[in-house]
Amino acid sequence: MLEISHLTLTYPGGHSPALRDVSLALDREKMVVVGANGSGKSTLLKAALGLVPVPRGTVHLRDRDVNDITGDLGITTNLGEVYRLMYVPVGDLIRVYAGLKGGDPREIEGRFHDFELEETLRHRMHELSTGQQKMVGNLLAMSFRPELVLLDEPFDNVDFTRRRQYVELLQSHDGPLLLNTHEFELLRHFSDWDLGFMFEGQLLGRFRVADLDRLYVSRGEAPGALAVLHTRLGAFSITRDHGDVPLKGATSLNAVMEGIA
Amino acid sequence: MNLVGPYIKAMLLNRTLWFWGVAFMFFWLVMGAFVFNSGSSFSHAGAVDYTASWYGIIALFSLSTLATTITFSLSYSTSALAYGFRFTRLRPRDYLLSVLAGSGVLGIFLSVIMAVASVGVFSLHFGFALVPANLLALLGISAVAGTFMLVLAMSLMLTVVNYLGLRNTNFVGFLPLLLAYGFGIAQVNVSLPPWLEYASPYTDISSLFYQAFAGSAYPVDLSQAILTGSSASLQWPYLLLSLFVWILVLSAISTVLLRRIRPRSVEEGRQI
Repeated sequence: MLEISHLTLTYPGGHSPALRDVSLALDREKMVVVGANGSGKSTLLKAALGLVPVPRGTVHLRDRDVNDITGDLGITTNLGEVYRLMYVPVGDLIRVYAGLKGGDPREIEGRFHDFELEETLRHRMHELSTGQQKMVGNLLAMSFRPELVLLDEPFDNVDFTRRRQYVELLQSHDGPLLLNTHEFELLRHFSDWDLGFMFEGQLLGRFRVADLDRLYVSRGEAPGALAVLHTRLGAFSITRDHGDVPLKGATSLNAVMEGIA
Repeated sequence: MNLVGPYIKAMLLNRTLWFWGVAFMFFWLVMGAFVFNSGSSFSHAGAVDYTASWYGIIALFSLSTLATTITFSLSYSTSALAYGFRFTRLRPRDYLLSVLAGSGVLGIFLSVIMAVASVGVFSLHFGFALVPANLLALLGISAVAGTFMLVLAMSLMLTVVNYLGLRNTNFVGFLPLLLAYGFGIAQVNVSLPPWLEYASPYTDISSLFYQAFAGSAYPVDLSQAILTGSSASLQWPYLLLSLFVWILVLSAISTVLLRRIRPRSVEEGRQI
C-alpha cells in the first residue's frame, strides 16, 4: 500500500536533513512512529502524501509514484493544511470534502455528535481551539471509507475523553494506518501495532509495541543490535532483553539517550 | 463537485474584503463627491460623466481588492489543492472553472454595491438622480472583470508559490491592488496613450464600467471631455476584446500552474 525507499530530504535553508535515508513499507498493518518534536515524523507523513518535494528516494502508494497519483479516494490524513481549501465553517467544509471524497456528510456529522463536537460545525477552522482543530482533522481522516490513514499527532491538545474515544475508533479501523506521536505513554493503547522510533530524521525499526518492555538502548554499536542510531552524541543501539537502559517506562527516546550519554 | 457556493461563501466571510473592498471604497466615493470637486460646477451631462468616471475607478479598486484577497487565500491553500488533486475527485480544470464562476458572481456583487453607493452619494451631491445608463452591460462587465481578477491573482500567486517560494507572497499579493491604483489614478489624471488604454486590462475594465454607467464611450482625455464635452473616445469592442485576450492567456497560465502546484506550508511563510 505504502512504500518509502531511501528517502532523504532537507528543507530549503535547512542545515541538516529532516529525513535521512528513511525506508518504510506498510501493507495491511498498523504502525505507530514515536519520536520527539522536530525529529521528522510530520515530514515523513507529508512526504508520503507528496506534500514536500522528495529530492532523493522514492514514495509509492499502491505501486504508483505519489506525484503521479490522481483521484485516489482511499488515502486520508488529519494534517490540518490539507483542509484549508476554503475558509468556510466546518459544517460546510464537511459537505465539500464529502463531495470530493464521494461520501455521505451525515456520516461524519454523526461522528461529530458522538464526539460532542457539534459546536465546531458553525465555526471556521481558525476560530476553533487547537484541540478542536485537531479533532476536525482526525474525524475527517477517519471518514468516507478510508483505506490507508496517515495521522500526525492525533492526540495533541485533545482532552482525555475524546482521546479514549478516538483510540477506540482507530482500533476499529480495518486497514493500514500510520500514526505519529511524541507521547510514549500512548503506546500502551496500541499493543498489537508495529512500532518505529524517529530520531534526528532517522527511522528505527521495525519493532512491535508489545515487545517494548523487552527493548533496551545501549551506547555504541552493540553486537546483535536490532537497530543502530547515529546521532550527534555518537552511536546508540537498540537491543532486545539486555542493554544499558530499558525502554520500559521511558517517557521519551531523547530522555533515554541523554541519560546514557 | 460544485465548489462555486462554498467559494463565494468563503470570500463573503472574509472581513478584509469587506473592509478594503467595500467600506474603504465608500470613503473614496464620499471624497470624490464632496471634497475633490468642491467649487466646480457641472452641467447635467458633466455630472453624469464625472460620476461615471468615479464609478469606473472605484469598481476597479474594489475588484482588485478581490484579486488581492484571492492571492492570499491561495497562498494558504496550496497543500489542500495538491492533496485534493491526488486524493479526492478534485481536478485542476474543475477547480478553475468553479472559482472562475464564483469570481464572476463576486464581481457582480461588488460592482453592484459600488454602483448603488455611487448613485446614492453623487445623486445626493448633485441634487438629482443619477442612474447607470446600461444596467445589463454593467452586470456583464462586472462578471468578466471578476473572472479577470481571479485568473490574474491565480497566475501571479502560483508563479511565486511554484517557482520562488513564499518569500515574495506579500508583495505579489498586493500587486493587483497596486496596479489598479496606478492605472486607475493615471487614467483619470493623465492623458494616457490610446494604445496603453486598450492594452491594459485595468483601463479596459474602468473604461467599460464608465461606458455602462454614462452611456457614452470613455474619452481619451477625461478632463477635457468633462469640461468641454469633446474628446476622442475609446471603442468598447476593442476594450472588451483586449480584456478577453488577457483572461484567455491568464487562464491558460493558471491551468498549467495549477497542474504543477507545489505545496507550501504556512509555517514556511511565517518563518520568512
